[in-house]
Amino acid sequence: MSSKRKSPDFVLFITVMCLLVIGVVMVLSASEYKTLIYYNDSFYYFKRQLLWSVLGLIGMFYMINFDYKRLRQYITPILAAAFILLVLVLIPGVGVEVNDATRWIGIGPIQFAPAELVKLCIIIFTAYGLSRSRERIKSFTAGVLPYMIVMGLAALLILLQPDLGTALSLAGIVIVMVFAAGARPSHLITVVAAGLAAVVPLIALEPYRLKRLMAFLDPWADPQETGFHIIQGLYAIGSGGLFGLGLGQSKQKFLYLPENHTDFIFAIIGEELGFIGATLVIMLFLLFIWRGLKIAIASPDPFASLLATGITAWVGVQAFINIGVVTGSLPITGITLPFISFGGTSLLFTLVAVGILLNISRFTTTR
Amino acid sequence: MIAIVFFSMLIIRVGYLQLVEGDRLRDEAMDVRMRDVPLEAKRGTIYDRNGHELVTSVSVDSAYAFPPQIEDKQGAAEKIAQALQMDKEVVYEKLTEKVGFVWLKRRIDFDTAQRLKSLDISGVELVEESRRFYHQDSLAAHILGFAGDDNQGLTGVEAVFDQELRGIPGRIVIEKDAVGQNIPEALHKLIPSEPGQNLVLTIDQTVQFFVERELDVIMDVHKPKLAVIIVMNPKTGEILAMGNRPTYNPATWRDSPQSVWDHNPSIWYNYEPGSTFKIITAASALEEGAVKLTDTFHDPGYIKVADRTIRCWQDGGHGSQTFEEVAQNSCNPGFIEVGLRLGKEKFYKYIDAFGFGQRTGIILPGEEVGLQIAESDATELNIATMSIGQSIAVTPLQLLTAASAVANDGVLLKPTLVKAITDVEGRVVKEFPPEPVRQVISKNTAQTLLGLLTKVVSKGTGRNAFVDGYGAAGKTGTAQVVEGGGYSPDKYVGSFVGYAPAHDPQIAILVMVAEPTGSMYYGSQVAAPVFKSIALDTLRYMRVPEIAGLEKPQMPYVFEVPREKLNMPNVVNYPVEEAENHLVNAGFIVQTRGEGEIVCKQIPQGGVEVLSGATVILELQPHDIGAVEEITVPDLTGLSIKEAGSILEKLGLYLNPTGTGFAAGQQEEPGTRVRRGTIINVEFQPPAIKTIRD
Repeated sequence: MSSKRKSPDFVLFITVMCLLVIGVVMVLSASEYKTLIYYNDSFYYFKRQLLWSVLGLIGMFYMINFDYKRLRQYITPILAAAFILLVLVLIPGVGVEVNDATRWIGIGPIQFAPAELVKLCIIIFTAYGLSRSRERIKSFTAGVLPYMIVMGLAALLILLQPDLGTALSLAGIVIVMVFAAGARPSHLITVVAAGLAAVVPLIALEPYRLKRLMAFLDPWADPQETGFHIIQGLYAIGSGGLFGLGLGQSKQKFLYLPENHTDFIFAIIGEELGFIGATLVIMLFLLFIWRGLKIAIASPDPFASLLATGITAWVGVQAFINIGVVTGSLPITGITLPFISFGGTSLLFTLVAVGILLNISRFTTTR
Repeated sequence: MIAIVFFSMLIIRVGYLQLVEGDRLRDEAMDVRMRDVPLEAKRGTIYDRNGHELVTSVSVDSAYAFPPQIEDKQGAAEKIAQALQMDKEVVYEKLTEKVGFVWLKRRIDFDTAQRLKSLDISGVELVEESRRFYHQDSLAAHILGFAGDDNQGLTGVEAVFDQELRGIPGRIVIEKDAVGQNIPEALHKLIPSEPGQNLVLTIDQTVQFFVERELDVIMDVHKPKLAVIIVMNPKTGEILAMGNRPTYNPATWRDSPQSVWDHNPSIWYNYEPGSTFKIITAASALEEGAVKLTDTFHDPGYIKVADRTIRCWQDGGHGSQTFEEVAQNSCNPGFIEVGLRLGKEKFYKYIDAFGFGQRTGIILPGEEVGLQIAESDATELNIATMSIGQSIAVTPLQLLTAASAVANDGVLLKPTLVKAITDVEGRVVKEFPPEPVRQVISKNTAQTLLGLLTKVVSKGTGRNAFVDGYGAAGKTGTAQVVEGGGYSPDKYVGSFVGYAPAHDPQIAILVMVAEPTGSMYYGSQVAAPVFKSIALDTLRYMRVPEIAGLEKPQMPYVFEVPREKLNMPNVVNYPVEEAENHLVNAGFIVQTRGEGEIVCKQIPQGGVEVLSGATVILELQPHDIGAVEEITVPDLTGLSIKEAGSILEKLGLYLNPTGTGFAAGQQEEPGTRVRRGTIINVEFQPPAIKTIRD
């Protein structure tokens, strides 16, 4: 069946554009005071977010017109790239340490966070591998384990940075993909159990993790340390009420809420745009998931289907965890809100992934 | 589907936070962002009765810091320490405290504030506060009291009227960013402070000044432990002046010991009033008809009560006298007789009615109530000594308040210290009118007693208190200080309570000097002249017209310690040291003639009456105990068992005492010759109670 290309999924495109615009505006609003203090330039983050958005859109449009099938030819370099990046980031001098974690690679003036690229690479690899044989997936050792090992290795390297949030989201994405590929639920439960078994000693080794993780249950127990982020985030969201304080009117952005332009940007959205704005953002993510899964289901081949599932799961899992953390519903882990949080290269690769998803949508068959 | 469920949960969570918890979280967040700068209210002014400012509040700067905002804490500490003249370590400690706000130094002067301002350290700021300014330094210190650092009254009327004086503090609330900097579009709230109300005291600054001046003189001359002067308007109960020594300066109260600023002796010191209390005895007895002015008394120099003898301060007694003369002479047996005639129940009734044993109710903290023997426990002897102001302790204010009733037609008033409370514009918010407590004695009795007390001053022991041009009525008093269950042999309280002018008292004054260390301690010496001085100045200041042709006392009451007529002790046959000790203690000067250890002859002879201070010549003879078999028995009268025993032992004789106390009689008469080793039988008796002159 020759692929007669259609135009990409318009709803998905518009959804992403909406999220992107909200992101750029909110990054400006959240960061303008902080950057004025630290960089003497209210638009410091805004300008960068805008630049990376444009770069990301260029990448996205490139991928819209880049036949996803050709990705299969690059599987080996793609997988290799992922691991090289993960190792590079750990090498002192190459990796840049921020807040006791090295999540960045410094290339000249540009700082490059490989986390999102690694996720994309692993997604492509997993989709490719799972799509080669629909039968093997029923076997644990042949169908499930290899991808879990690859993912596990990547996650381990990410944990060394350390970046628990990214590692967990990567695991979540791969598990969703393996499940979508038709793995037996019992196998998945085994994997999840094994994963938890692996995480427990990690937490036990460094008790601060447990304390931070569990702080969301009662942030007021330790308001100055572990509970600080959550409390300040809750103050912001709570202050918003139904309609919010109005765009640009956040009070918590005056150095009270840390990471207010990255991990905790949703709190500023809640404060400025209120329940209505926050709900709108959540609905946009739901819309994204709906369209993404729709594309996956209508995909012309298993690779496309799994790829679309992986990318959708990526955005969905990450959005869920982020909003869950910010609202004090989930243990606190540092994870960005896709399309909205400030983060140059992350944004770039997320948009590239959306480009792939949109490209797949051009090959969908309407049933 | 799963995605929808998950994301719906998020929406519900967000909705819960924003719509249900929203208000609470918003308020909490607001509190976190708001920084308070306290804005103290101006404390009210304290005026004297004529509107003179005694205490006002002046604006001063206080320096504070927001420690989180200060980056170079070491450097800042150094500069601040220099500007504020503080220890660098202390400043550094403050700057490194884990708090958002810390006081560096409160109430600094203008130059210091300017110095600090010129440093321009971010996070170090000044706020206007007020400092109490005492216009007359330590004048009326115990009345005024003082306020602490946070504008809270700690003692005196500052404490009692703290709520009124304090005002309502204001605040400047500013929304700040997390490190304390101002933020754009910040919320500002200025809650202005409301100045405190003012206090108008009954104190007259000028009269208070007279009192303070006299107290300074007393301290200078007599160096007492305590001194108190209170001036009261007996017709209203208003206290015109109340001064104490030792005192302190409220502006620098921390430099004085707590025992000084925490206790106001005028209302706190319990002492036995001595003869000043005879005013109360006389008032009660006259009111009850137990005595009339014309009743005659005979004072042989002592009075027997129960099994004890109470001696008059006047050796040989005052002889036959009317009650009027008893009062003028401050005759102790006379007053004891009056008190015993009155009887326990009635006496206690009046003691109670005059307010003893209770607080006067003056608006000052720390008032004592005096000490009394419970009525059920009081013996006849107690009643006798209470009649002359012993076995009962009172506070100076209690006594003056009670005595003032005599000058107010018998009506006891509650002493007042505050006339009114006024607001910022000077309008009266609250007034404190005179508060009658009860009619204690009739107007008639009061008039009679006033006449009696006038004569005490014009003719009797109170002559030193006579006020030229006005006259006076009153009573002196001298009492021993009760110490360790008995009377101290050398600690006295001299006092005077009186009124002037004599016939229409405008002021009542109490002067009390406790434990003077000079040669004088009698109330007539240390207190009466002070009364005279204050009364004269005050009456002239009050423009009270002088009374023409007022008869002045003939002469001042004997001022020096008078020579007393004494019986010369017989010291013949005493060892020489014992004889000398004995005579010196009795108030004589001793000279010896010849060599030897035993007194063989004395001039003048034992038993004759001589004036104290006379010289006694002792002739000695060589003593060879071994050679002498016959020994002359010495006169042991007045000696304690120990003293008698020691003398007899040295002479080779033995003592066989009977009874306790002091030698009252001996079986072997003095002068008889006895054999060596004879036992001398001596009878000892408890001492007579000696009373003190006034």
